[in-house]
Amino acid sequence: MLPDSDAPVLGAVRPRLIPCLLLKHGLIMRSQLFKVHQAIGNPMSTVERYSQWNVDELVVLDISRDEDFHDLRRDDLQQNYQGKSALDVLRAIAEVCFMPLTFGGRIRSLDDIAERLTAGADKVTLNTVAIQDPDFIAQAARRFGSQCIVVSIDVRRQTNGYEVWGDGGRMPTGRKPEDWAQEVERLGAGEILLNSIDRDGSGLGYDVELIRLVAEAVTIPVVALGGVGRYEHFPSAISQGHASAMSAANIFHFFELSYSHAKQACLDVGLPVRPVGLGSRFLLREQLYDRKKEDARIQARLERAKAADYSKSHAVGRAEKQTVRWCSKCVYPGISAAPMEFDGQGVCSGCRMAEMKEQIHSSEWTRRGELLREIVDRYRCRDGSRYDCVIAVSGGKDSYFQTHVIKNELKLNPLLVTYNGNNWTEVGWRNMLHMKEAFDVDHLLISPSVTVLKKLNRLAFTVMGDMNWHAHIGIMTAPMRVAVQYGIPLVFYGEHGYLDLCGQFSMDDFPEVAYRNRLEHYGRGYEWTYFVDREGLTARNLIPWQYPTDQQIFDVGLRGVFLGNYLPWEANEHIKLVVDRYGFETSSEPFDRTYRTMSNLDDMHENGVHDYLKYIKFGYGRCTDHACKDIRAGLLNRDQAVELVNRYDPVKPRDLRRWLEYVGMSEEAFDRIADTFRDPRVWTMANGRWQRQELQKRIE
Amino acid sequence: MIVIVDSKIANLGSVIAAFRRLGETVSVSDDPDTVVAADALVLPGVGAFGDGMESLRRRGLDLAIHSAVQAGKPILGICLGMQLLAEESEEFGVHEGLGLIPGRIVKLVSKPGERVPNIGWCDVRPTRPSVLFRQTSSGTAFYFVHSYHFLCADQNDAVAAIDFGHAPVTVAVERKNIFGVQFHPEKSQDAGLGVLESFVTHIKKGADHVA
Repeated sequence: MLPDSDAPVLGAVRPRLIPCLLLKHGLIMRSQLFKVHQAIGNPMSTVERYSQWNVDELVVLDISRDEDFHDLRRDDLQQNYQGKSALDVLRAIAEVCFMPLTFGGRIRSLDDIAERLTAGADKVTLNTVAIQDPDFIAQAARRFGSQCIVVSIDVRRQTNGYEVWGDGGRMPTGRKPEDWAQEVERLGAGEILLNSIDRDGSGLGYDVELIRLVAEAVTIPVVALGGVGRYEHFPSAISQGHASAMSAANIFHFFELSYSHAKQACLDVGLPVRPVGLGSRFLLREQLYDRKKEDARIQARLERAKAADYSKSHAVGRAEKQTVRWCSKCVYPGISAAPMEFDGQGVCSGCRMAEMKEQIHSSEWTRRGELLREIVDRYRCRDGSRYDCVIAVSGGKDSYFQTHVIKNELKLNPLLVTYNGNNWTEVGWRNMLHMKEAFDVDHLLISPSVTVLKKLNRLAFTVMGDMNWHAHIGIMTAPMRVAVQYGIPLVFYGEHGYLDLCGQFSMDDFPEVAYRNRLEHYGRGYEWTYFVDREGLTARNLIPWQYPTDQQIFDVGLRGVFLGNYLPWEANEHIKLVVDRYGFETSSEPFDRTYRTMSNLDDMHENGVHDYLKYIKFGYGRCTDHACKDIRAGLLNRDQAVELVNRYDPVKPRDLRRWLEYVGMSEEAFDRIADTFRDPRVWTMANGRWQRQELQKRIE
Repeated sequence: MIVIVDSKIANLGSVIAAFRRLGETVSVSDDPDTVVAADALVLPGVGAFGDGMESLRRRGLDLAIHSAVQAGKPILGICLGMQLLAEESEEFGVHEGLGLIPGRIVKLVSKPGERVPNIGWCDVRPTRPSVLFRQTSSGTAFYFVHSYHFLCADQNDAVAAIDFGHAPVTVAVERKNIFGVQFHPEKSQDAGLGVLESFVTHIKKGADHVA
């Protein structure tokens, strides 16, 4: 039953649940208050996921002001399109979007509409243009039909009531939303997309009062947007707000099977939405790659490497015009491995998120601790028939700290799971093996065949300029796979790196492990299927990298939680604790490429040659990562950081020798292939030498 | 080869993408000879009935479609394309259709709580065994955008319905080699792609049969 007896009569049409994607310069954004934008990633991987989940409909809003920074070219990624503009994105989306698609943003003329419909949109949204020239709605409806004209209305709550704002929340109009809604209906709009600016990104739930005000003023469907933070928030838009459809943006990005769980929450209160969908017969989650195209791509790279031909380093779109830009506070370059946004002051989203994290009051950490306890209590096994949770551990200081919290503070019975990528430092290996004694727990190692590992190292280096694909995907897969096999619904990981590094989301998002993120960011778009039939690999060799199916994840109710979202993460204090109490060994040997000594003992290449390749591609490396963290923590000033970065980032590390011997490759072959990945925005070849713009101490 | 008839009144992109997803190569044409020579036809369409027919006639596509159908080639009409299969429509005056399936196109009549145009996902109920819905379970929702619907003269031509207004409304038709769906299979996720797949399977069976 619907919770509200006053619920609207539902006709033949089922209420819709509509994910909304915000697009800026070709990337999906998380938005807050219409102001703070954080880059989530490539739209294609998200849209494909939606097609697998039987989504009712999709809204895509392009919030870019222009196309100047639209540049998705990254040679090390498996991308599903090469585009230069928002329209290119739309065309690519339409290829994998077998649901109604609404596209909005920067529409100023009837031709703009025609262009978007031809590119694959079924409907368009009008906003600013409709406010400036209401008659445009009538013209558009006459030419294209009301069914494809959606007017989007952004509303701010003022002291004296609601007001419609235009121009992406920058322009007051003096209009009341209910009056404006009636006017756009009269002019021929077929639907209203109603967004609450105050609730945008808040997670507080819909502004039900606003939705009802507008929905009752018109007869055309109203789509409610803005504020959803929990699945349980969705039904209120319909049961109390009387809207025809529920929409949201942020929530769908951060949780596995988010759409399916949202559907389930609607069904649970009796809302007759279409059923939960898990997996499409026609669009496989593990994509099949265009073998011919990929073979040609690899071949072309090897030929360029052989001929040392880096002249036409694949600049696409407006890339030629761009130069490197660094954050004015830390030392991150705008061209980074992780998606990043800069604000008006030239400060990166990573710094902004670190500031926000710094300001978190201790009472907030208390609240987060309570949230963690709630999760733990929900998943704790009552009868001893299974482990309470899995902890993904590498044997590093974070692994020790996590296990300390989970086993000894929260009193759970965990199963430790380690992906053994065969790249251990001696100290790292000892630390990892010592965990089961230090904590008196069960520990499972997933150790793939070394022959297979060597093949994957070689292949991934050649294909994406990163030998550690196996490790990144392995770490995000093995613990999840074990959890499903053992029927354990909860997996703990440590920190979500992208909050710290590039500020990809807000502290209120509590992102969890998700297939999209695993494939797009950890795997660069390369799934295990890519490697089948290469160097003789078959599906049966690649089981350690095969993620559980959506159905398995849904059935177990599996969640992969990052402990860092719930606890203050003080690395230096953790070290003291884990050394003193659990016998964690620190490394006496410094890394070649960073001044810090504590990270990545489990994988000698992670801070070594893997990281060197990041420098080859983008002109920066682990020292930049560490220096940025230390600037944000107040441990370094920017000038000190610049000195460190310019000293450490270019260093060719000693572990390269081991890697070359391990996989059987010459250093020259390595260098030449690596050079094919240099980003033309960073590197130029002059007089037979690679040159890059160097980070300077003073920012004008 | 499946030919999508380009009547210039439809956004063909998503229909093409849907067939491509099924692994089928399709061509798009507004040339009557190509249409006559096709192995099978798809007739998409959005907009008003009169404009749609006029657009076909202007290019001689109405006659080409008739020849192909008479030669036993399967044809699938989608949305307005399905309505064009009828003898006539009452949308904005009376307009003559292709007349491939006896019946007429009439305005939807809603009951309280419903809206015309009917836009959204509606549960479709097969009303008799059919080719297109072979793999569809009853009550599966498809995506609709329409203000008019097909009223079959011979109830046996109607193969699926939705409940709208006070009576079932026909949303799919089949008569020998002639098929039509009111909803958008290319916008109905797996359910829709499944219907297109059934159509493709049917075409191939026919081809095998002839061979």
